[in-house]
Amino acid sequence: MRFFGKFIKKDYNAKTDSDALFSLSSAYLTIESKIGLKNSGRCALSMKNISGMYFNEMKEDIKRFLDISKTDFELSYRTHTDLYGYLWIILEGKRMEDLLAGISAVGDTVDEKGFSNQLLAAIFEFTNDKNKKQYLIYNYKRNTFYPFVPLESGQKSRNTEEEMKMMATIVDEVPLERDMTLWYPLWDLPL
Amino acid sequence: MVTVQLVLQLSSVSRTPSWQRRDNGLTIRMILSFAILALLYAVFLSVLAYIGFDFIAITIIASLMVLAQWYFSDKIVLWSSGAKIVTRDQFPKLHDMVERIVSRNNLPKPKIAVINTKMPNAFATGKGRKSAVVAVTTGLMELLSDPEELEGVIAHELTHIRNRDVLVLTLASIFATVAWYLMQFGFYGGLYGGGMGYGRDRNNGGTMIIVIVVAVLVWIISFLIIRAIARYREFSADRGSAQMTGKPVKLANALMKISGNMRQVPTKDLRQVEGLNAFFIIPAISGSTIGNLFSTHPPVEKRVEKLMEMEASMS
Repeated sequence: MRFFGKFIKKDYNAKTDSDALFSLSSAYLTIESKIGLKNSGRCALSMKNISGMYFNEMKEDIKRFLDISKTDFELSYRTHTDLYGYLWIILEGKRMEDLLAGISAVGDTVDEKGFSNQLLAAIFEFTNDKNKKQYLIYNYKRNTFYPFVPLESGQKSRNTEEEMKMMATIVDEVPLERDMTLWYPLWDLPL
Repeated sequence: MVTVQLVLQLSSVSRTPSWQRRDNGLTIRMILSFAILALLYAVFLSVLAYIGFDFIAITIIASLMVLAQWYFSDKIVLWSSGAKIVTRDQFPKLHDMVERIVSRNNLPKPKIAVINTKMPNAFATGKGRKSAVVAVTTGLMELLSDPEELEGVIAHELTHIRNRDVLVLTLASIFATVAWYLMQFGFYGGLYGGGMGYGRDRNNGGTMIIVIVVAVLVWIISFLIIRAIARYREFSADRGSAQMTGKPVKLANALMKISGNMRQVPTKDLRQVEGLNAFFIIPAISGSTIGNLFSTHPPVEKRVEKLMEMEASMS
């Protein structure tokens, strides 16, 4: 049975796919030029918080890395633990390239320490001309992006039309989640 | 009009995305489908002729019935759906909307009907472009609060009229109907041992079985082809709507709302479903392909995806 188990229990939690993430480095320009959404300079990575020495060590490593890269990448960061117990690492920087490099480096660190299963999503924030927020979510388990545009009413409803517009704009440039039933939102983002 | 078309034609050569060009695929597919249907029909006829079947009478009757059905299609549809033709006074906004689309696209204005039901739906019917009716339900008007979404749906129905889809599908179904009649006829003939004077007296039972088998085959195949044509024409109507309104995303949104697929885009938080790891193993393809073969409408996801491709090529 163990023999079969080895093959059947495939690890779907793929590693941080930096190629997939970095496809955003040109796609964000397309988003801006085609539908006027600007990168707000904020992005975040969220992962399931677990207790344990190694995980804590990893968190320290990430913080140390981000402290150092403040000057190199012009990134500032803060952390946040949400109601679900997820750890958020929120990055702010002027350039999308820096944000992507930061997110990707954090993801790599998590991966190196063997905690890639804990990675949930990376979130990139955009603002439209009315200063409303729209997001692209990168799902680490699927290695795909999908849009998320919450309606501001606080009723946990989303603007599917704007989401589809975002998707249509970058469909050729980034790996998009084709199955819309997997476009799970992230409400009350701490960004 | 000629100049306008000329300009469009010219620009389509350079950079217009493919969906904005003339829909050659539709014409080709139509010809192909009819060729296949005609071939089927010919094979069917020759088999019948070979076994000496007196089919002409039934063929004529069946065709006449189908044609009558087509001729009265608008009345039948309106009557059976409970749609009422409405005047401008009753639904001024709806009339305005239809007029806007038809005048922009150089189409004759159809009659407008409203069905009083909560079910969101719309349809087009009529023999030709001039006697066409576009019907919408009150439920649809309620559901599509954004007028541009309703416009997308109406433009979709107007494209059905422009493409003469009622006629096309009626013609296509003639074959199926004839086969259906023959199937039943052959069945009865077989039951009574050909006692009704059809077919040769010798080996009558055998020929009847052949007739039934062939008729069944013709009916099944034409049934599937009709559905394939219908599905393709739905895509065409979506494309036509996108061309008329210039806003594919609005129709996509409307389609999702109508099909109740709004729930497809989840509202449950990713952090809540994350634990259900198995969920991510399910492949993106859902629904059965066999089901697709039989349906006249392509799955909404497919249509939305195509509309999104159009949207992408526009912006």
